Amino acid sequence: MSQTFTCGDYGALVSYLYDECEPNERRAISAHVAVCRGCAEEIASLGATRELLGAWSPPDAQLGFRVVSDPSPSNVLRPSRWWLQPMPAWAQAAAAAVIFATGVTLGALRATTGTTDAQASNPQASNVTLTAGPTAAVTPGDLSALEQRLRAEMSQMRNTNGPAPVSAGDAQVLERVRVLIQDSEQRQQRELALRTAEIVRDFDAQRQGDLTRIERAMGQMDGTTGVEVAQQRQMLNYLMRVSQRGQ
Amino acid sequence: MAFTDDELVAKSVGGDAESFNQLILRWERPIYALAYRVIGREEDARDVCQETFLRAFRALPGFKGQAKFSSWLYRIALNLCRDWIRRQRRAPVMQIPEGVDPGELAAERGPVESIEELVSRRELSAVVEEAMALLPEEQRTAIILKEYHGMTFQEIADMQGCPLSTVKTRLYQGLTVLRRHLEKNGQMTPQLVKRK
Repeated sequence: MSQTFTCGDYGALVSYLYDECEPNERRAISAHVAVCRGCAEEIASLGATRELLGAWSPPDAQLGFRVVSDPSPSNVLRPSRWWLQPMPAWAQAAAAAVIFATGVTLGALRATTGTTDAQASNPQASNVTLTAGPTAAVTPGDLSALEQRLRAEMSQMRNTNGPAPVSAGDAQVLERVRVLIQDSEQRQQRELALRTAEIVRDFDAQRQGDLTRIERAMGQMDGTTGVEVAQQRQMLNYLMRVSQRGQ
Repeated sequence: MAFTDDELVAKSVGGDAESFNQLILRWERPIYALAYRVIGREEDARDVCQETFLRAFRALPGFKGQAKFSSWLYRIALNLCRDWIRRQRRAPVMQIPEGVDPGELAAERGPVESIEELVSRRELSAVVEEAMALLPEEQRTAIILKEYHGMTFQEIADMQGCPLSTVKTRLYQGLTVLRRHLEKNGQMTPQLVKRK
């Protein structure tokens, strides 16, 4: 190895940096670095860079690989099953056609069954459903009155020993429900009008109060300004008088 | 009793899978770390690590002990990393580091370090990782083998199939690029930044 070191011998510098050089080469570089500020700083900064590299650590990973001498059948690779292999295009098309036909048939069947069910069901059910919405606005008193009426009608029907025509009874019930709904709507409208009137009144009152306060504030400002103007006038007059006396 | 690598290799060649598992346990972390630092992706590094041991196990009967078992493993891993890089040539080598979560850091590191120190260290790690990604593959690999795996210049030269002087040049050039990047990101102290 060389006994001397010259600036720019980066190979030797790297050997010195990693402490992987012969003792005589190390001595030569040490002697040079002691007198050459540039090389000393170069080695110092490369050393500092190396220190910072220590901060880079790979993330923790779940490893734990193992070799199994007698692998269980599930771990052994084997040709894939026929049902796991991709289907040919013609088979995919056939499957799609079968699925589509099944869907159409089921849809048609469901539509027919739905119509039959609707026809077979009691028409009163639809009436009950219609009344479900507005019941929220009907008071308990209305409901109890309706219940009493219905009970009275049912008892009348029993007393007559024969079923009353279904359509007539339904029409009566419907009519009463409509009346109840109308009453409820009218009450709601009255209440809404009342609330709206209250809001408008409150708004007007607030507006009036605000306007009064604004006018008062403006008046105070006017008054203050007027007083200030008067004081300035008095001051000017005084100055005029004083200056005339001096002349 | 702890067996040496050579002993475990001999027993593995004789059909003792458990001995090879001990070799895996001994070397999987360094191999994973090497793969992660070279390719920069956790999942792919795991795959490379697994594939390295799989190939080593298959090729074990052909391993005659000309080199150290660890060097042989490193060589397999580096070849796999090189293949991976070739496949990913168009994609960026390093992923952008994700945001730092101090709470998570505190949970995983414990209360010894302050949050600020943990965040600072994580940031520094990210900057170093970013800087390493700037290096050409040969320089990066040389620095990784030297800095993180403590290989000699000669071992790196054997691993990379190049002269000793080339290894030194790669190390010097790589360190210079890293220094510049770390200076730019404010990780180096001012008195060290000042050079002639």
